[in-house]
Amino acid sequence: MKELKEENQKESILEKTAREYYVSGNEELSKKRNNSAVVLFFKSLVALVDLYIYKKLKITPSSHNHRFSIVKEKFNDIYNLLDKDFPFYQDSYNILMSKELAEVIREDAEKIAKEIGLNL
Amino acid sequence: MQKKSQKKLDLTYSEEVIDIVQFGSSIMNGKTFNDIDVAVIFNKIPLKDQLEYSQEIKRQIEKYFDKPIHMQSYDLYSFFDKGNFAKESILFYGKSLITDEYFSQNFGLIPKIQLNYSLIKLEKKDKIKFNYTLNGRGGNYGLLRQYNGKLLNPGLIEIPPECEEVFLKTLKEITSDIKINKTFKMSQ
Repeated sequence: MKELKEENQKESILEKTAREYYVSGNEELSKKRNNSAVVLFFKSLVALVDLYIYKKLKITPSSHNHRFSIVKEKFNDIYNLLDKDFPFYQDSYNILMSKELAEVIREDAEKIAKEIGLNL
Repeated sequence: MQKKSQKKLDLTYSEEVIDIVQFGSSIMNGKTFNDIDVAVIFNKIPLKDQLEYSQEIKRQIEKYFDKPIHMQSYDLYSFFDKGNFAKESILFYGKSLITDEYFSQNFGLIPKIQLNYSLIKLEKKDKIKFNYTLNGRGGNYGLLRQYNGKLLNPGLIEIPPECEEVFLKTLKEITSDIKINKTFKMSQ
């Protein structure tokens, strides 16, 4: 019973953060703050990937490295998606990001949300 | 073993790809590097497609190297955008993983580095040492022969861009009076 409660709590935290970043990403995008939007959509994506991992394996990654190694080993499509978008998150402090890029990362977050049946 | 590319790789890629270019410290002779920088240059297609095609290329390139691959995707508009701080490095030093030629050769330009040096203030033994370093001695090749450089005039040599580090490091041990000029030559 206690375990079930903990599981629900973890899931609800990840859902809440994924939504919060997603909504904030949209707000930043509407203000043409593309770099902020990229970072926020990527964070939403990461929360959704963690939720995906948690639902499948009942573990939560402790770092980006851990997350990457889990998805690389177990969920190749998700690995490809994260690996594709991660460099933009890393470079977001010194490169001007485009609206198109923010929309691509938002779409990737939406794809994972759909995969786990979550309304963002 | 780490393959220090500048080699043609056997890659499968979309016809929307103009070139796949290795750049950064991994192509520089005499430089240590932690990852392999690769830029994929596309025709004008949606960014989403660029990124997906780049991922497919990355998976293939990973098989040739034992270091992480850092991919960047551009079309010609985003490549020349003022916000692209990597463009000079890609344009001047970048080498195609498709053709093993310089990326700039797509535009009819061959990059070269010219090193202008003066030996006037050196002692005779250092002048001789400098000469041996460039031209070799006793059957051993000098830097010019080893790295495909050439003497244009007394005091002026021309070298491939990727050899900048190794020439400067070696020659500056003998003289600090070296000026660097980065140029493009017309291919034809």
